[in-house]
Amino acid sequence: MVSPDIFYVEDDQDFAFILEHAVKEVRDDLTLSVVEDGRDAIQALERFAEDKLRPKIILLDLNLPGLSGLDVLKRIKEIPYLRHTPVILFSTSDDPMDVKASYEFGANAYITKPSGYNNLITCIRSLHEFWFNQNKTIN
Amino acid sequence: MNNYQVDLTNCDKEPIHIPGKVQSHGFLIAISSLTFQVTYVSENVTEFLDLSAVKILDMDASALGAFFSKDGEDIDLGQLLKLGKSQNSFDIINPYKFRIKDEPYYLIIHQSADDFVLEFEQITLEYDIQNIIGRSISQILTNKSLIGLLSNAAQEVKNIIEYDRVMIYRFLDDGHGEVVAEVKNEDLEPFFGLHYPASDIPKQARELYKLNYTRIIADVETTSSAIATYILDKPLDLTNSGLRAVSPIHIQYLKNMGVASSFSISLMANGELWGLIACHNYSPKFIDYKAREGAKLIGQILSSALEYRQGEEDTEKSNLLNEAVQDLSGYLEKDPDLISALTRHKVSLLDVTHSSGVAFFYEKQLYTMGQTPAIDDLNELCRWLKQTMQESVYHTHQLPEVYKPARDYADLASGILACMLSKELGELIIWFKPEQIETINWAGNPEKPAEPDVDGNIILSPRHSFESWAQIVKNTSSRWRGSEISGVLKLRERVLAAIHKKANEIRILNERLKLAYDELDTFSYTISHDLRTPLTSIKSYTELFLAQNKELDEKGKKLLDRVVSGADKMAFLINEILKLARVGRSDIQFATINAQKLVQEITLEVISALNAPHVKVVVGDCPDLTGDQTLITQVFTNLISNAIKYSEKSPDPEVYIEGKLVGDEVIYSIKDNGIGIDVNYHDKVFELFKRMDNVRDYEGTGVGLAIVKRIIERHNGRIWFESELKVGTVFYIAFKK
Repeated sequence: MVSPDIFYVEDDQDFAFILEHAVKEVRDDLTLSVVEDGRDAIQALERFAEDKLRPKIILLDLNLPGLSGLDVLKRIKEIPYLRHTPVILFSTSDDPMDVKASYEFGANAYITKPSGYNNLITCIRSLHEFWFNQNKTIN
Repeated sequence: MNNYQVDLTNCDKEPIHIPGKVQSHGFLIAISSLTFQVTYVSENVTEFLDLSAVKILDMDASALGAFFSKDGEDIDLGQLLKLGKSQNSFDIINPYKFRIKDEPYYLIIHQSADDFVLEFEQITLEYDIQNIIGRSISQILTNKSLIGLLSNAAQEVKNIIEYDRVMIYRFLDDGHGEVVAEVKNEDLEPFFGLHYPASDIPKQARELYKLNYTRIIADVETTSSAIATYILDKPLDLTNSGLRAVSPIHIQYLKNMGVASSFSISLMANGELWGLIACHNYSPKFIDYKAREGAKLIGQILSSALEYRQGEEDTEKSNLLNEAVQDLSGYLEKDPDLISALTRHKVSLLDVTHSSGVAFFYEKQLYTMGQTPAIDDLNELCRWLKQTMQESVYHTHQLPEVYKPARDYADLASGILACMLSKELGELIIWFKPEQIETINWAGNPEKPAEPDVDGNIILSPRHSFESWAQIVKNTSSRWRGSEISGVLKLRERVLAAIHKKANEIRILNERLKLAYDELDTFSYTISHDLRTPLTSIKSYTELFLAQNKELDEKGKKLLDRVVSGADKMAFLINEILKLARVGRSDIQFATINAQKLVQEITLEVISALNAPHVKVVVGDCPDLTGDQTLITQVFTNLISNAIKYSEKSPDPEVYIEGKLVGDEVIYSIKDNGIGIDVNYHDKVFELFKRMDNVRDYEGTGVGLAIVKRIIERHNGRIWFESELKVGTVFYIAFKK
């Protein structure tokens, strides 16, 4: 079993589909794994931790069915092995309350989902540049 | 012996029940109910019995009996008194017919304290009057109306007693009397319609009229006879005596009027003296006991008829008012508009009383119906009532006498009946009665003249003149009746209930509105949020499609670009609505805002975002503000970007921003020399999605100023603007310090 570069929790299949393309556009060999809800996400992440594996970065949608993005964030931060894995909240919402709560729960960044494919590519490129190229701790 | 001196100062204190004298047409003997000894005797007894008063004072009942005979036998007076004593009443004995020296007499007995009072008077009537009385009574009752009843009664009484004049005299509220029916000999001057002052029949006389239903003054010219007794310091109480001597003042009064004999019958209604049947004869004329009793019966029957008819007429009148109150109560329940309920239906406020106009002060508005004083006068009157009214209802029939300004409109409002709904809010209803210039024809000047006597003492002088004396009563309306006042009180309750109900309804409505507002905010928020996701998909897929299909021809690319820009526009709009909704949802966190710094930062940001470096922005003095940092930032961002956006194309675009302290407010102005706002749109500027004709070429959604206004409102501030087309616009925002 291998862990992906990007672990993405997203219930909107359309957005996940677009993002997958955007990721490939940014760097062809980046691996992406998508789960659709919070419970699956926590299960998968716990399994990674058991196997001493960790994704390089976790993208977390805020509005999820069942467990919310914040719930998942909290659980992740409770798993010692994953404590230092950067978690980026990725949401349609730009509500300051959401932003504030996310940071309080230990999010490493909060990104409002850009609108459109082109903006998304720009966003992923910048994300990749910062977290994969400049921030050496995750490599 | 009563030596009471009557003068002007004690006229109505004169103890007329113990005059110590009797009228001389009969005689009186009092016998102790304990010892049956004679205790008092009128000195004129000598004229009837050939016995001196002193001798009689020595006798007891049985000895006295020997001087009277019935059917040839002596009367056993002791036995007679014992019978009455055992019965506790002399009703079955009175009048006791007997003879003195062969002359027929009546003996009438009553008890006064411990004494039996025996009064003797001659029988003058030769026939039985009973039949006549029966006929009279049925005659009286043929007329249904009150007035008809009274004149019939006067006529019948005249037939029985054969006096020159019979009047029905009615006591009015303040105690003065009016002649309401009269039957007289043709040669006499009419007294009908004349008013007599209250002092003509003093209070204690009235009390006696309530106890003794008839009273005869047989001859004003005869001298009354003193009562002899050996009992010291205890004059005989003659309250119930028919022979009781008349007050000298009253005798003088009658003499002045030319009356020789007077007879009166009390008319009672509901336990009160309603009036009198007053009979005058201009020559001495005694009325036989039986005829007097007959007249008394007529009086009693008339009294009960009066009580009934008066009650009936009052009920009829108050029923009408009551019905009006009922009707209004019904309207109040059905009609949600209080004013409409009280003024716009078939029955209105005006019908609750017998008034000619009504004014209704409610919710700072004044509504009038019928004849009322002018608006300014009403407002003034309302203020006065607010200050002076202690109870919930106030009424007067002489407003100009208590409230001088009302003299100017006495014709419309001499009478008012005011009903306070809320003193605090100055909400009240006032009914008006017009002035009734009433001419009261007094039988002589009602001010009792006092004249100095020969010794210079002021003495009471009963009136000499009974020529009618007309008094014109001004500043007075007809009186408010009890039924009007009670109707108004009832109505007041209903109106207050309706007001409370309405207040409650408004409170509930307010709650609902608040809830609806919250729901709307939540709704706008959720819907905007949910709309974003599919919108993003539309845009993203389109872009992805474009990216993956490089071979697409220019036309195809153009079409898909339109899809993308459409989606962008929609996303922008959704964002704006989201912001608006958020203003309502978010809690405002007040903090001191460094406005100077904020405005400068925003200015830079906006210039850069709008790519408008050529616009000259001058930031003047910007005092600190108290408000929510995020929301205030939004306000300035919106206003400054509007100012820059709409002046950008002017020849020398300039925007000036500054704040000033004015009173307890900080007022900011954002001034531009841009395109301006058409005066026709001034009232629509802050409306959602409203954009002016001249801004088609500028980007915008019509939400920005709606957001600004909402934020300012949530800060309890104010926003307004001045603008002229093609000259520029100044927006002002005022914050509480």
